[in-house]
Amino acid sequence: MADAYIFDAVRTPRGIGKSKGALYTVRPTDLLTTSLRALQERNGFDTAEVEDIVIGCVTQTGEQGTCIARFAGLEAGYHFRAPGMTVNRFCASGLQAVNQAAASVAAGWSDLVVAGGVESMSRVRMGSDVGAMFDPAAQWRVGSVPQGISADLLATLRGITREQADAFAAESQALAAAAQQAGRFDKSVIPVRDECGLAILERDEYLRPGTTAEGLAKLNPSFQMMGEQFAVDALTRRTYPHIDRINHIHTAGNSSGIVDGAASVLIGSLEKGKALGLKPRARVRAAVSTGDEPVLMLAGPLPATRLALKKAKMALADIDLFEVNEAFAGVALTFMQEFDVTRDKINVDGGAIALGHPLGATGAVLLGTLIDALEARNLSTGLVTLCIGGGMGTATIVERV
Amino acid sequence: MMTTKTTQNGAIGLAIDDAKIATLTLQHASGANKVDGAFGAALNEAVTWLGQQKNLSGVIIASAHKDWSVGADLEMLYKARDAAAFFENVRQLQQVYRALETCGAPVAAALTGSALGGGFELALSCHYRVALADGRIKLGLPEVLLGVIPGAGGTQRLPRLLGFQAAADIILQGKSLRPDKAKAAGLVHELKDSAEAVIAACREWIKANPKATQPWDAKGFKFPAPRPGSEQARDMLLVGAAMLHKKTAGAYRAPEAAIRAVAEGAHLDFDRALEVEARHFVKLVVGDQSKDMMRALWFHKNAADKQQDLPKTDTADFTKIGMLGAGMMGAAIAWSCAERGYQVVLKDIKQESLDAGYAHCKALTETRCKHLDQAQRDQILARITPTLELGKLEGCDLIIEAVFEDPELKRRVIEETQGLLAANGVWASNTSALPISDQAKAAKDPQRFIGLHFFSPVEKMPLLEIIAGEKTDDETIARCLNFCKRIKKTPIVVGDGYGFYTTRVFFSFILEGAQLIIDGQPPALIEWAARAAGMPVGPLQVFDEITLSLVTHALPQAKKYVGDRLPQQACEMVEKMVAEGRAGRAAGAGFYDYKSGRRDGLWSKLAAFASGSAATKTTEEIGERLLLAQAVEAVRCVEDGVIKRYRDADVGGIFGVGFAPNRGGPLSYLDRLGIDNAVQKLEALAKTCGPRFTPPKLLVEMAKSGRRFYDAV
Repeated sequence: MADAYIFDAVRTPRGIGKSKGALYTVRPTDLLTTSLRALQERNGFDTAEVEDIVIGCVTQTGEQGTCIARFAGLEAGYHFRAPGMTVNRFCASGLQAVNQAAASVAAGWSDLVVAGGVESMSRVRMGSDVGAMFDPAAQWRVGSVPQGISADLLATLRGITREQADAFAAESQALAAAAQQAGRFDKSVIPVRDECGLAILERDEYLRPGTTAEGLAKLNPSFQMMGEQFAVDALTRRTYPHIDRINHIHTAGNSSGIVDGAASVLIGSLEKGKALGLKPRARVRAAVSTGDEPVLMLAGPLPATRLALKKAKMALADIDLFEVNEAFAGVALTFMQEFDVTRDKINVDGGAIALGHPLGATGAVLLGTLIDALEARNLSTGLVTLCIGGGMGTATIVERV
Repeated sequence: MMTTKTTQNGAIGLAIDDAKIATLTLQHASGANKVDGAFGAALNEAVTWLGQQKNLSGVIIASAHKDWSVGADLEMLYKARDAAAFFENVRQLQQVYRALETCGAPVAAALTGSALGGGFELALSCHYRVALADGRIKLGLPEVLLGVIPGAGGTQRLPRLLGFQAAADIILQGKSLRPDKAKAAGLVHELKDSAEAVIAACREWIKANPKATQPWDAKGFKFPAPRPGSEQARDMLLVGAAMLHKKTAGAYRAPEAAIRAVAEGAHLDFDRALEVEARHFVKLVVGDQSKDMMRALWFHKNAADKQQDLPKTDTADFTKIGMLGAGMMGAAIAWSCAERGYQVVLKDIKQESLDAGYAHCKALTETRCKHLDQAQRDQILARITPTLELGKLEGCDLIIEAVFEDPELKRRVIEETQGLLAANGVWASNTSALPISDQAKAAKDPQRFIGLHFFSPVEKMPLLEIIAGEKTDDETIARCLNFCKRIKKTPIVVGDGYGFYTTRVFFSFILEGAQLIIDGQPPALIEWAARAAGMPVGPLQVFDEITLSLVTHALPQAKKYVGDRLPQQACEMVEKMVAEGRAGRAAGAGFYDYKSGRRDGLWSKLAAFASGSAATKTTEEIGERLLLAQAVEAVRCVEDGVIKRYRDADVGGIFGVGFAPNRGGPLSYLDRLGIDNAVQKLEALAKTCGPRFTPPKLLVEMAKSGRRFYDAV
């Protein structure tokens, strides 16, 4: 089996995913073309050589419907010989795109693939694709609840408190602000511009520097009303009959931000890179997805991490840095609790609580963030993982070269 | 000139007048307009006949019977097991209804009587509905109460008429509405005060609306918001599913299927949407749960209400009732009697108890007689005479005691009051457990001494457990049955013995719940497992409601009569909790914590009572143990002769003490498990949990000889 190399990764800044957000006026296609163009410009490859454009996107309806990967590629000026495919593995879609591209290169079936993700949550509302997940039949047969309920259930089962979640969130804000201030994101964040070239957004805008745990403690739980008044908590009892009361600890302040953004990653074989004059930044050591219990849903990073380590023939100690998507503080805290990972190794430049979680893009964003962080600290190996709706997990291990 | 004839089988009268308005008169030979094979054939013929009428200007569907249509023939549904054949029948009926609503002429339903289930669905297949404004008339879709859903278009027409929310409210709760409420809900268009006026209104509407069609057949039809497939619809269905799950713990198939039929059919062309409904309907009808529910909740319940196979007498029941004890129970019994026209003397020994009891009667009149005017309410209260004087009981022909459950106290009040009874008067003990024959030893006329066990809250609970002591005569039982009918209770008539029937089953349930804590099972799991098995309320919550002290007070007697069948550790735990001031909701603490009277989660220290360290069991295992604990006690009651008719075990179990209605009662449950299988499960439980699970001989013999309690369906 060949190795898949990552030559580069770029991303747009993340804009607040509401009508007040800077990127609200930008079409999702334009978010994606921004990163696709930047990837080509920085690396100078001939887009006719690109054998696929694999893009993660969760809410594939409205402006994000009809295979946005294909049309963003064409609008970005990529050669029409570079095909496009849009994938949906919920919150890990962007990482799934990377993994799929890497797998194709590793199999020897592709030599150069662009992977990435896009989500304009301000323009294409989360859940507006309706779908199979909450269909009544799925309730009777599977039981599925909105993610926030699962996050609170996870915290309840793990004994994670509101105080721990708020403290984690405040630290995420502090780390992200410090990273932004130190310019650690500048290398990979590509400003979004209008057609005149005027900048619309140059830096991540969701951050709230100066956030304190005390301040966060004042926020109301986000999912308590849905869970209790609207009885959604009861749906978890089919699977967790001994939990008669869910501790609703998650708030807007210790959960991921709703944002807009896109990311693109250039992946290929070593030979193709040489031929095109590209310098690899990292090698993909493992790329996996796993399924886990769907009601709890968000514990997916645990089995995904175990499987990735097993496939890479590595131990936890071999990993220098972790990126665990901060969908909810409880998810990252669960990861730390389960694997005994200290805070200085996980999400070292902050995470989605501070920077936002543009659903389909996040996986690709985090992969770039991880490689940047490894480079900045001159470390070698990192693991990125995300929790996923329906109880799945995706994880990727990369090693700098 | 009116032309009249009937369909070949006579089930529908066919008439057409000079104005070319046809009248289809429902006149099922049984005397009630059932939706069955004969009706389906007749309606098919009637619709064909309508198609042959030249210049038809409209159709009125009327009834020759008291009801308009009572809905599906339950005998037929109960026996249906062949999905393919039944599906064909359902589709045919759906298509006939469909042919009626697309016959090209305006169709009006003249609802001069109740229209329920398949009958109400026929009304929904009419373009216009006029109902007689009579509070006795019921309109609605009660199918889910018997384990099925509407199968003749109800799950498709109602949401298209009212939207998801309103339709689901009616279908999921199996609601039947009075005409005024039905009009307010949008189920009928007009109300009229006489049958003639109903027909006249139909005629007028036909004349004014020659082109009437159903909304869903009209061009540009829009499903009432939220639109199917929209986020709002998705959210509404998610919350609907959640609310239902919270209520039923997943124990009931029918309401789940109803949500699915509504959700999955709403997107589709109307004709194909009916097919979706039919598939869900058929699955429920041929499935076990609807059989068990129909057997108990319909056939057995009706037989009990009709007092089939029970002693009868022409002697009037009673006129003046003496009620001893004005506590919650006594006051509510007194009120229930007064409300039904009896003169009642409410006697207590303390003025403050009497005042509180009378105030309770007043409050019941306010909350439960909203349909009556002030004078009528005053009359109810005027029939109640509160008193501290024994002498006021003079001439009562029924005395019911509701004093504390203490044999000595009971003996004393019997001796004090029996002399005041009118000649042939009956003395009744409203005891929940103390054997009637033992009490009757103090009675001068033990043949007229009986147990009338009411359930709390009396005004709401439908059951009356009538206990015949050794010497109680049939005339006394029959008179009490007449009384029972008049106060609108469902009777079970059982033999004597400690706890009779319902209390034995009930104690088995709650004590098993407590014992499961001792065995190391998580309390929240116990509660959920009970509900997931079909119990309306978990054992620990019920325990708190009835108060733990009620049980600890009963324990000395219970131990005397039942002995080793009580789970000893559970009893000790309950005694300890009472000693620690955790006697239940009324005490502000029990198995649950309470915050200003509301449950505030299970008491966190319950697990400390666990003496076992058994592995956590599954929801199914715990649910089964809780049901079997009750079912095995029910079988012992059969064996002991306490239960004389199997139906009493199931009706009494469900309506008295809330045995899982989805299982059709404890005996139906054992039948469904398979007697042989049940015996094996009981033997296994007896080994691990104790002799209370030992399968009774009767059951073992039944298993050996392959017998069941009821014929298999």
